[in-house]
Amino acid sequence: MKIDSGKKGLIINILSLIGFVILWQILVILARNDSFNIPFIRLRDIPTPVETWYALADSMFTRTYGPGLTYGIINHVYASLQRVVQGGIIAFIIGVPVGIGVGYSKLIGNLFNPVIEIVRNMPPMAWIPLSIFIFVFGGSIFIVFIGVIFPIILNTIQGVKSTDPRLIDAAKTLGASESMIVKKVVIPSAFPSIITGLRIGLGVGWMAIVAAEMVIRSPVGLGYFIWNMGDLGRYAEMVAGMIVIGVIGYIMNISILFFQRRFINWAD
Amino acid sequence: MKNRIKILSVVIITILIAGCIESKKTPEISEPINLVKMSGQEMVQRLGTGEIAGFIMWEPYPAIAVTKGYGKNLIFSGKIWADHPCCVVAYDDDWYKKTNNSDEILKRMALVQLKSVEYINNAKQSDSPDHAQLINYTMQFGGMTDPVAANLSLADVEFVYNTNVEGTATFIQKIQDFGIFDPMKWNQSEYRNASDYANSLITNNYVEWAVNNKDEDLSKISLKEPVNIRYAYLVNDIHELPFYVGWQKGYYKDIGINIVIAEGAPFQNGAFEMQNGFKANTVDVGSLGIPPVIIHRINSNDFSNDDARVGVIAGMNNEGSVIVVANNITSMKDLQGETIGFPGPGTIQHVLFLMEADKEGLKVSY
Repeated sequence: MKIDSGKKGLIINILSLIGFVILWQILVILARNDSFNIPFIRLRDIPTPVETWYALADSMFTRTYGPGLTYGIINHVYASLQRVVQGGIIAFIIGVPVGIGVGYSKLIGNLFNPVIEIVRNMPPMAWIPLSIFIFVFGGSIFIVFIGVIFPIILNTIQGVKSTDPRLIDAAKTLGASESMIVKKVVIPSAFPSIITGLRIGLGVGWMAIVAAEMVIRSPVGLGYFIWNMGDLGRYAEMVAGMIVIGVIGYIMNISILFFQRRFINWAD
Repeated sequence: MKNRIKILSVVIITILIAGCIESKKTPEISEPINLVKMSGQEMVQRLGTGEIAGFIMWEPYPAIAVTKGYGKNLIFSGKIWADHPCCVVAYDDDWYKKTNNSDEILKRMALVQLKSVEYINNAKQSDSPDHAQLINYTMQFGGMTDPVAANLSLADVEFVYNTNVEGTATFIQKIQDFGIFDPMKWNQSEYRNASDYANSLITNNYVEWAVNNKDEDLSKISLKEPVNIRYAYLVNDIHELPFYVGWQKGYYKDIGINIVIAEGAPFQNGAFEMQNGFKANTVDVGSLGIPPVIIHRINSNDFSNDDARVGVIAGMNNEGSVIVVANNITSMKDLQGETIGFPGPGTIQHVLFLMEADKEGLKVSY
């Protein structure tokens, strides 16, 4: 029986995941049995995949114990995703026009470039302490915004600059105004690049939101959940939260890739 | 590939829909009070700017907030539970086993605790000749500059040296009822019930020895060879003032104990002290709230080597925490849907707040 290369890849992917989980289980069990020890690392305190699975299942939905109400992971995912989407939309609305302006006009480029070059080198996490003090509300959305906007701006600039000059010349020859050239030629040409910027930016924003939620005060969010579980010594729940973050980040990435390939196929 | 994408799309949509339903459903259940973790300084600052409706915290932060006019005391923890145990003096079991004369050291630490508590309780009286000195110690340890706030912060703290097995068992039962223990770890611990656990946690011998020797001159019953003790405590926590007094007045030195502040101390809360101090073997003896001791000796413990095992030798204080609220709030019910600062899950303030909410029939998210 011949297996096609796509299926073969999928099988290897699945086997690699299963292998990782088995290796994780074995290493923790061996460490707990004192079979080996790595100095300065408390490997035995890491929950096993089985413990993590039970913790994930147990903390998926909101639970109440007497007066205490602990939100389910599903609520935390929703809250974090909501912040990423809000920050992403604001970054898209601001970043695309700025990127088009900087990429298309030398004057705007000279005006904005120095600020963009300095600010984009400040990682989103470096903004967390400042946002704690300046934002009464929405500090975590701001952190996402910082993470998303620069990949969008830079990719938009690159997309605009790589517009085929012959298309612009042709439009000019046909009597198109500057605004029409931007609208009808430059933006469609740059759009695939803009979406690539959005994909990269949302990836950065997702990582940043989790860090921001650990510091910026909010009762819901995956970062807050992980921190809280750590404080209670509920390490299996903590690791379950970390895995959920990884899975959601992966799903976000491939969803945008799918959207890009399915609907913006002129990029190819 | 297409199938995978379809499956993933279904997963995303399911999560979003489930999240929508859950997040809409939750407030309808109860309109909970939202507890959010923050430091004491942040609580005072955020109450002042109106970002939070209140906080529950150890002294001196309630006294500072009230003195600055940012808020008012709504409920003293003594009203939630009269004479409830709070901070304690605890030792690391690994250190205990490795040290030849650990029992002798712990007896003397309990005696210093007794002497310090007696000094504070006398000096708390405004006509005491030691009152000014006590206020200075309070300001230094609590990170305060205002003597009025320092005086106020002492008023609701009952300094003690006795242990409280019954109160500790009550805390254990509450922590169990509130679902804070990791059920798997609790089963591993093999404690039969709250009382069994409380008895295993607390040793009264040291305080008994201290009471019998309380009139002795410290230098006469000092250790033959001075020892270094790595000590940990909580940042600016007035509950632990007896430790600071014993240290500053030289009681520890007189009895042959050199206090060395442990790596990472002072800790921001008891959970950090248990996880990063006692469990990491960087702390020999320390003071912290009894709930973090109770919780982390179970949840953070590796029962194959008992690395988070600690023992309690003396009390530090009873009561001394306060729910402070914005001036327009008159009852716990007004806090529904509001954000309230607390020092972290599993702290004494967390458990006390849950107890008060339980009495009032309110829900608390954390």
